[in-house]
Amino acid sequence: MHTNTSMNKKTGRSIDNAFASKFAKSMFLSVSAIVILSFIATRMFTHVDLNLYGYMVGTIVFIGGFFYRFIAWGERPPTKIFIKKGLKLLKRKSTPKTAVNHLAIYDFIKNRGLYRWVQHILIGWGCVLACLVTFPLVFGWMYFTMDDNGHYTIVLMGLNLMTVKADGIIAWLSYNALNIAAIMVTAGVCMALHRRLKNMQARAEQKFIYDFLPLYLLLFISITGLLLTVQNVFLHGWMQPQMSLIHQFSVIVTLIYLPFGKLAHIPFRPVSVFARNYREHYAEQEEKKCKVCGDHFVSVEQSNDVIQVLGVNAIEFNMEDGFNLAELCLPCRRKYRISRFSGFATHQVKVKGANQNAKG
Amino acid sequence: MKKRLYLELENCIGCRSCLAACTQCGGHEERNRNYVYDVNPLVNRQTMPLMCLHCVNPACARSCPAQAIQIHETGAVLSALVEKCIGCQNCTIACPYGIPKFDTEQNLMYKCDLCIDRTKDGIPPMCASVCPSNTLQWLTDEEIEAKQKQFNLDNGKWVTSMPYLEGETNVRVNLPGILQGVTKLF
Repeated sequence: MHTNTSMNKKTGRSIDNAFASKFAKSMFLSVSAIVILSFIATRMFTHVDLNLYGYMVGTIVFIGGFFYRFIAWGERPPTKIFIKKGLKLLKRKSTPKTAVNHLAIYDFIKNRGLYRWVQHILIGWGCVLACLVTFPLVFGWMYFTMDDNGHYTIVLMGLNLMTVKADGIIAWLSYNALNIAAIMVTAGVCMALHRRLKNMQARAEQKFIYDFLPLYLLLFISITGLLLTVQNVFLHGWMQPQMSLIHQFSVIVTLIYLPFGKLAHIPFRPVSVFARNYREHYAEQEEKKCKVCGDHFVSVEQSNDVIQVLGVNAIEFNMEDGFNLAELCLPCRRKYRISRFSGFATHQVKVKGANQNAKG
Repeated sequence: MKKRLYLELENCIGCRSCLAACTQCGGHEERNRNYVYDVNPLVNRQTMPLMCLHCVNPACARSCPAQAIQIHETGAVLSALVEKCIGCQNCTIACPYGIPKFDTEQNLMYKCDLCIDRTKDGIPPMCASVCPSNTLQWLTDEEIEAKQKQFNLDNGKWVTSMPYLEGETNVRVNLPGILQGVTKLF
């Protein structure tokens, strides 16, 4: 599994040899990066918020689970091809637009339904906002100090970013960022739960563990988080330490669960940008002609990649007629199948096939 | 009792009931996932249905970079998980039968899932439950074996999914009538 990426020409040794596995290497590098960043940001560990220590441990455990899952996934032959070629094609002009479309505004979900889009925007961006606040605070990449009374200094990566009034708008947004995120996520999750309970299309295929559990976990986090604020503002902090532990528990459980359930699509999703780039780039290079009708239907590269990937899995569709099934366009492939059933060469008849879309 | 989808292709009368029924299955969002083709459109009216045969070693799932195509414990090869499908269309290129459909707007592949909410409880899939000509049937392995004996030819012209097509499939395909030259009931 050793790649030649960092091979030293003189000694023939690679830095990879220092690690037992890709997993060990990834863990070592990311934990080191976190420690170094925290060292710099907390001014040599003098500003660590030990109240958040549980999240720190939870995050490290999460990273372990994440690399375990991600590396196992990335080693699958088709995934490997997309990651490898996708990284090479990242410099395409269309990348920013595709990335925003796929990862920020989710245009394709809007096409699945406005309701689903709204719920996904609320949940997705709520979680992103919460992560952007929580993790910098946990690792000390961001903290607040008060030099003059009534003014907070926001410290980012050890640098004084700005000084804000303690009762100003920026300060208010900072205090309430997690509340705003929690309200967004709660609203989104409630929409999602409503859809899962009422929509017959969704109900047909959903499972409790796969579809409901992540929603309940997010709800658990959001509600316990909001309760912390309620206890502070309305109850003079009654039971606040206990609730803070419950909240911490909810976050850590979700972090550990994240790489293994439905939420795993969050770290995996950027590959959809790779896939779009891959399809666009190689379609411009050379398109495959269907061996029967001559229509262009896919890039030569993708056709070859799929044949190769199937070969790795010991699947080969080379026909006696002298072509691989992956070299036929889809209608021709279906007609060829009919011809294999009937003994009559349906795919050679130059007639447009009947409409295959029934109107529900 | 485990039942399978069983196809007796030459029974097909081209009514497209299976396509219409497919749209009504829960989770199919009113879009059909199967096909009916004319065998020799300029000469006669013989048609044949074509649906996912649910390969035991499915090329679509093997070629999927996102692990979006899952295999159910009943053997059904499911449609892409909506949150995982990254829209690369590898599955459409890999499938030896050209079954998966792709929606470019939704950036999502969808394919026959053997009406998994029905078949997981032993209820026949929509297509088989509406087929008026017994082209699509929902049978136990014993019943399929009986069919096979009934139509055995002993002349090497037996065309079925046993032995396999491109690979072993969970759906069994059989077309005894055409090769035997017998007149069928339907």
